Amino acid sequence: MRLYTYGIIDSSNQVNEPIYGLEGACVYNIPYCDIGAVVSELKEPVQNVTRSSVLAHEEVIERLMEYFTVLPVKFHTVFDGRDGVLSMMQSYYKDFKNNLDRLRNKVEFGIKVIWPADKVKKRIMNSQKKNEREMPVPAGSSNKKFIRKKFEEYKTNKEFEEKANKFINVMDIFFSKFAAEKKLKKLKTENLLLDAVYLVEKDKQDDFKEAFEHIKGPHTSFKFLFSGPWPAYNFVILPKNSDLLKDSKQEDLFDKVVQHQELVGADKI
Amino acid sequence: MTLNSVVETDFPKEFVEEMQKTEDVLPEKIDANPENVEKGLAKLVLTLIELIRKLLEKQAMRRVEADSLSEEEIERVGETLMKLENKMKELKQIFGLKDEELNLNLGPLGDLM
Repeated sequence: MRLYTYGIIDSSNQVNEPIYGLEGACVYNIPYCDIGAVVSELKEPVQNVTRSSVLAHEEVIERLMEYFTVLPVKFHTVFDGRDGVLSMMQSYYKDFKNNLDRLRNKVEFGIKVIWPADKVKKRIMNSQKKNEREMPVPAGSSNKKFIRKKFEEYKTNKEFEEKANKFINVMDIFFSKFAAEKKLKKLKTENLLLDAVYLVEKDKQDDFKEAFEHIKGPHTSFKFLFSGPWPAYNFVILPKNSDLLKDSKQEDLFDKVVQHQELVGADKI
Repeated sequence: MTLNSVVETDFPKEFVEEMQKTEDVLPEKIDANPENVEKGLAKLVLTLIELIRKLLEKQAMRRVEADSLSEEEIERVGETLMKLENKMKELKQIFGLKDEELNLNLGPLGDLM
C-alpha cells in the first residue's frame, strides 16, 4: 500500500474531522510515540505537479493546522506502506520533536516587494554624471576607457545595492517586531527588491499585517505582495542529508500557487 | 476547495514575471546527456571562468576606487579585462550560451553568482 504523506503533527491521536486529500482519499494519522505522520492511501502513482494536487496537499496541511502544529512534508512524498512511514519517523523523531516545539503556535507569512529598479539606477547614473570629475580614472586609451566604463558600472551597482539595503532595513525593522524568525532574500532579480518569509506567532498575526499596511502606505512607487498564513514551510530545520521536508522546489509553495494564478483566483491576488 | 491563506497584491502579473525570471537563472543541474554533453560541460566550465573573471574585475574596481593603481597598471589591467571579456563573449557564442545561463544553484549556499 502506497501512503502519500502530508505532514508531521504533534499528536498521536486521530484527526477528529474527516479531511480528504489526493484522489479524494480520507487522511489519517500514523502515530509514533507522541507525534504522528498524516497520510492517505494512494491507488495511482502521483503524477507531476497539477493544480488540483497542489491545492489538495496544501488544503490538508491547512486543515491540520487548525488542530495541530504541523511540519509540512514536501509535495510528492510517498512511502511504501506503514512500515516505511514508521521507519522514517524513528529516524527523525528527535528532529521532528525539536521543530514541532519551535514552531508551535506559529505561522509563516510571505512578503515580496518590487521596486522601480530602472528609475533608481537612472537616478544614480545621473548623479554620477554630475560628479564625473571625481572619477579616479581619466579617459584616454581604449584600455583606460574600458576600465572607466567598468568603474562606472561598478559604482552604480554598488550604490544600487546600498539603496536596496537601506529600504530593506527600514521595512524589516517593522516586520521583525512581530516575527520570531525570518529569512530575507534581497534582489533576487533587479526588480524584486525583497523576497522574505517571516515566522509569526499566531496571536501576533494582526499586528504583523498592520505593520505591512503601515509600510505599504507611503511607498506608492513600490509593488507589494503579502501572503499567508502558511504552514512554516521555510522554517523546518532538518539535518543536511535529509530531503524529506526541504525541497528547493517546494520551499515556498506559494511560488507555485502564484504561478498557477487561477489556483487562488487571479482576480483576488 | 478553499484555502485559508490569502495572497494579496494589486500586481499579480508583475510578481509572476519576476518569480519566473528567478527560476530561469537558476538551473538545478548541468544538462549533460549524450546529445549535448559538450554544451553541458562548456556551461559548467564557462560558469567557473565567468566567476573568476567577475572576481578579478571586482578586485580591480576596488583598487581603482582606492586609487592604488598607477597609470601603467590601469592600462595593463584594462587590456587584460577587456581581452578576457571578449574571449568569454566568443566562447559563449561558440557554445550558444547566454549570460543568464552561466550560473549554478548551490542549494543552501544560494547561487554561485
